[in-house]
Amino acid sequence: MAIIEKMEAQLRPVETPMVNYPAKYITQVNGDKLVIHQVEREDVPHILQAVSPLMTVAKDFYDIVASRIYSELLGYYRYRVKDEYCLVGTIDGVIVGVVNGRMIDEKAGMSYHTMTLRQGLRIGAQLFAAKMEYHLDYLGQDEVWIVAESPNGFKRWMIEYELEPRLEQWHELGGVPTYVLTKALWEKHKATKCGGRRPVSEVMLATAKKMILPETYSQIPGYVRNA
Amino acid sequence: MNEQLFAYRCLQCGELHHPQHFVCRKCGARQFEKVLLEGEGTLVTWTRVYNLPEGYMKPFLCFGIVNFPNGLNVSGQLEVDQPEIGTKLQTTVGVVKEGIGQDYFGFIFKAK
Amino acid sequence: MRREVGIVGVGHPRFGKSSVSFTDMCCYAAVDALDDAGIKTGEGHGVDQLFLASMGAQMLNRQSGIASALVDTLNLRPAMAESVENGPASGASAIKLGYMAIASGMCDVVLVIGGEMMRVVSGWEGTDFVATMLHPIAEYPYGLTLPAFAGMFTRLIMEKYGVLESDLARVAVKNHENAMYNPAAHIQLVPKLEVITEDEDKDIINPYVAEPLRLYDVCPVSDGAAAIVLCAMEVADRFAKKPIRIAGIGQATDTHAVAEREVATDLLAVRLAAQQAYKMANLAPQDMDVAELHDAFQILEIVESEEVGFFPRGEGHLAVRRGETKIGGKIPINTSGGLKAKGHPLGATGVSQVIEIVLQLRGEATGRQVEGARAGLAVNFGGFGNNVVATILTKEVE
Repeated sequence: MAIIEKMEAQLRPVETPMVNYPAKYITQVNGDKLVIHQVEREDVPHILQAVSPLMTVAKDFYDIVASRIYSELLGYYRYRVKDEYCLVGTIDGVIVGVVNGRMIDEKAGMSYHTMTLRQGLRIGAQLFAAKMEYHLDYLGQDEVWIVAESPNGFKRWMIEYELEPRLEQWHELGGVPTYVLTKALWEKHKATKCGGRRPVSEVMLATAKKMILPETYSQIPGYVRNA
Repeated sequence: MNEQLFAYRCLQCGELHHPQHFVCRKCGARQFEKVLLEGEGTLVTWTRVYNLPEGYMKPFLCFGIVNFPNGLNVSGQLEVDQPEIGTKLQTTVGVVKEGIGQDYFGFIFKAK
Repeated sequence: MRREVGIVGVGHPRFGKSSVSFTDMCCYAAVDALDDAGIKTGEGHGVDQLFLASMGAQMLNRQSGIASALVDTLNLRPAMAESVENGPASGASAIKLGYMAIASGMCDVVLVIGGEMMRVVSGWEGTDFVATMLHPIAEYPYGLTLPAFAGMFTRLIMEKYGVLESDLARVAVKNHENAMYNPAAHIQLVPKLEVITEDEDKDIINPYVAEPLRLYDVCPVSDGAAAIVLCAMEVADRFAKKPIRIAGIGQATDTHAVAEREVATDLLAVRLAAQQAYKMANLAPQDMDVAELHDAFQILEIVESEEVGFFPRGEGHLAVRRGETKIGGKIPINTSGGLKAKGHPLGATGVSQVIEIVLQLRGEATGRQVEGARAGLAVNFGGFGNNVVATILTKEVE
């Protein structure tokens, strides 16, 4: 093995095998089908293009969320984060939201970010619930560590899920005090937070996997992709 | 905790009010005496609210309008698991909003 | 001798999320209204008075003396200027004051602007701000909110008259469908009735806000401004547009604490305000061709439609099921999309409702026009029904 490859191997984290998140769909109020599926590592550069326009939008903390998701996903792509995953929400194949996180160990998950690209359908809340479902129902973990970057996030996660404050525990996102979704809290709130039907038909999943980049963003007035 | 809540009885015609008014709704007089509001009430209507205003760190709160035997209707918080219109509730007075240096006391109706 | 008053200009930029300041948002609406009336800004504009309606600019935007600021920004000096605060009925109140200023002979031309910028604060703070209009001892400190009272009211109406959750959803779907034809509407999305009422995931996509009210039974939070130009009918020929006459105005108040209402299922102030407006206009409910009713909560559209005399008490929801409040029905309600879909920037709403009636009577409500509309009613509802303004507009006979 060439010396450079040896170095690279030392830089990479040891990865734990993780079961895949089984894709699901949720019917939205206007009849649209929101399909949530897990992306492959190779999809990351494409998804970064959906995220990057929001990196300069200060309103509603989009800049910090987009910039951090960008770097977290890049870390995943370049093998610099251990046991990371990314779920993407699409409607008619167009990316409408992105969530990510990682396993700390077998027992605990670390929630990273929830980003809504298409506003007005409560997509962020549905994607966040899917992420919790992945940790607790599919990866079989006991708890997920969560922080919020906006007051709205604090209301949606900390208050609505009644998260357990574990303020002495620092979160990977900047050492902010951690709140924890335990298995018991998840079971309590799941019914009114986590929706969706499985399986997703092959046709629907094929459309979802197109992961079409949004042409416009309501958060960026006047923006048109490739204009 | 000895917090109490009151109705206001018009000294001229006896009409009861809650909250306090400056002028009697019935006869126009302006003198009132306090009457303790306590005991049992009947639930008139209720709701469970999920979008609470700033200052409440709970996923939801229940509220109701309760009818006292003296005829007065008042709003308050409910601490009842499955409220139903027409059920008898016990009147208590407790902290309905925590304030910095000053808590707010109000009606909290509980199952009997 | 009372002078007749007409509306000769309207301005209604799209409601939603503002990217400009409160003052600029109001000015955009104002210049649209002035342009519509054919008033040239600058010297000789002829505007005698400006009224600015806003419920919360002082609290939300930390700005006061706004009418004075706007009259200067628009360079309408030395016109008279006042701000008007009457909760969510501020808009209709400002129009009423404009009417009085002209009817009294004090002014010939009045510009009324309604505006609210609510999305500068978090949803939490916004909910708290709106709740400040509730009773400061018997309601507000409990954490009670407007949706809380609407939820409790809805439960009573359901018990008494057999209104179903699906009836509320029908009103919402109708209003969202209408909004698709209103370029000024905030929400351009049509919910599907069967999804919001029956889908397995309805509790997630259409969650309860204040039981039994769900998300789609409640108006959104919007920024927005709307403006109109009023004038004395005797000077109406100065302007580009034919005047739409203000035929009647009524206003009534009710108990501040909702629990004190004599009949908990009544909206007494709505009934009294409408009766007063009909009387002044010398018209009856059956003379109305179109109506904008204050549907901050979908139950309100149903009960208001009864209180203003369109349907017997307890039958408003049956009329909704029969489609009588749709465009083409017996009495189309909320052709603009209503507060539900057009949005509800508090101070702007009353002005916006009157603008929709003006457009309908002019025949300019493209895509949502009620054919041959000659008279219309707008009901602007403040507090939880403790201060209501009703306005009747009529088209002048050619």
